[in-house]
Amino acid sequence: MNRDLLKKYSLISLAVVLFMTAFSVSARGIYQTDEAFLAETFKEQTPKSQVVWLKGDLRKSVADILGHNYVGLRIRYWHKEGRKAWILEEIGKERPITFGIITTEDKVEKVKVLAFRESRGGEIRYPAFTQQFTDIKLSDDKLDRNIDGISGATLSVRAMMAVVTLALYLDKFTSQSS
Amino acid sequence: MNRRMRSLHRTVGAIVALFVMLLAITGVLLNHTTELELDQRYLTWDWLLEHYGVATVEADAVFLLEQNVISQFSNQLFVDATPVTSVQRPVLGGVVLDDLMVVATDDALILLSLDGEFIERMGSAAGIPAEIQNIGLFHGDPVIQTRDGMWRSDFLLDQWERISLEGIGWSTPQPMPDSVEVELATYFHGKGITVEQLILDIHNGHIVDRFGVWLLDAFAVLMIFISLTGLWMWGRRTR
Repeated sequence: MNRDLLKKYSLISLAVVLFMTAFSVSARGIYQTDEAFLAETFKEQTPKSQVVWLKGDLRKSVADILGHNYVGLRIRYWHKEGRKAWILEEIGKERPITFGIITTEDKVEKVKVLAFRESRGGEIRYPAFTQQFTDIKLSDDKLDRNIDGISGATLSVRAMMAVVTLALYLDKFTSQSS
Repeated sequence: MNRRMRSLHRTVGAIVALFVMLLAITGVLLNHTTELELDQRYLTWDWLLEHYGVATVEADAVFLLEQNVISQFSNQLFVDATPVTSVQRPVLGGVVLDDLMVVATDDALILLSLDGEFIERMGSAAGIPAEIQNIGLFHGDPVIQTRDGMWRSDFLLDQWERISLEGIGWSTPQPMPDSVEVELATYFHGKGITVEQLILDIHNGHIVDRFGVWLLDAFAVLMIFISLTGLWMWGRRTR
């Protein structure tokens, strides 16, 4: 009897481990290509891209937002009828996560995880989490509302908050300079 | 028997003495590594670096763009001996456009300043044709060869027109210049071999790889042998 019970629990444990392994592996991947994200955003009429050069004070501000220097001297974005699309990368724990962010008039319209390469923290891609960013704004160069975290995905959540802040900051900067 | 044993003891003792001196000297030096700063003194003798396998580095791809050497080591792109950005795909070539270096992988163009700073990675979302096979120049304009055909742009690189041309100066891989190879070897392997490392490896026999360990084993056996023969002779004399 005991042996049967042990066998049963072993099988359940094995199934749980296999499920968790499969789940963590499936979290990695490209969920949407950059082009598909832009095509979806601009309804197949993607505008010509523009760039913002990170120089002087802007470079410093970007470093303050991210907590480190941005790797690269310029950031590309797509702008049409008041909507701007940003494709930004930020490292969660070890590997870069690619985010697609749409900003409209200093607010976030939508955030998507386009590619996730970390082994943990892939839960940030779910709409249930990303919807928290809808209509979020900047207040004193910080997000104007709290974002509920996800246990086990702290660094990925932090990366998403950083890039959303960056996108809003750049949205404001590009609006002021144009 | 006693005379033969004494003769053997003397011969083996003479051999062992050399090893004991070597161990004693290197042991004393290792005991005073900090005071003698042996861990901060570096040896860069060619034969030694060669022996430790740190004399050379092998890049996956090397391209010479004017004064700069662009190389790829696994997922890292280097300008001369400085890592500039990560790169997920093999580097296929590079060209210089005005004040830009443009490095091609099959799915993107990586833009670098002439000072070696990473500017941006332009992928298909930025209008770069997919499945790049090579990059070159035609009368100063960038040209890329893709699976789908040949494309030409200008220095902005954001609009590409399909073309069919001859006489394009395609980017070709080059050998790594010696001076940069030395710098890269320093980057990957440090300044050389520390004196402490060399002495430690002489002390523990690793300087001659696996053979050194066996040599020290043989020496230990000889030590045991002369200890036993010494004790035996001492026992017989005191009897």
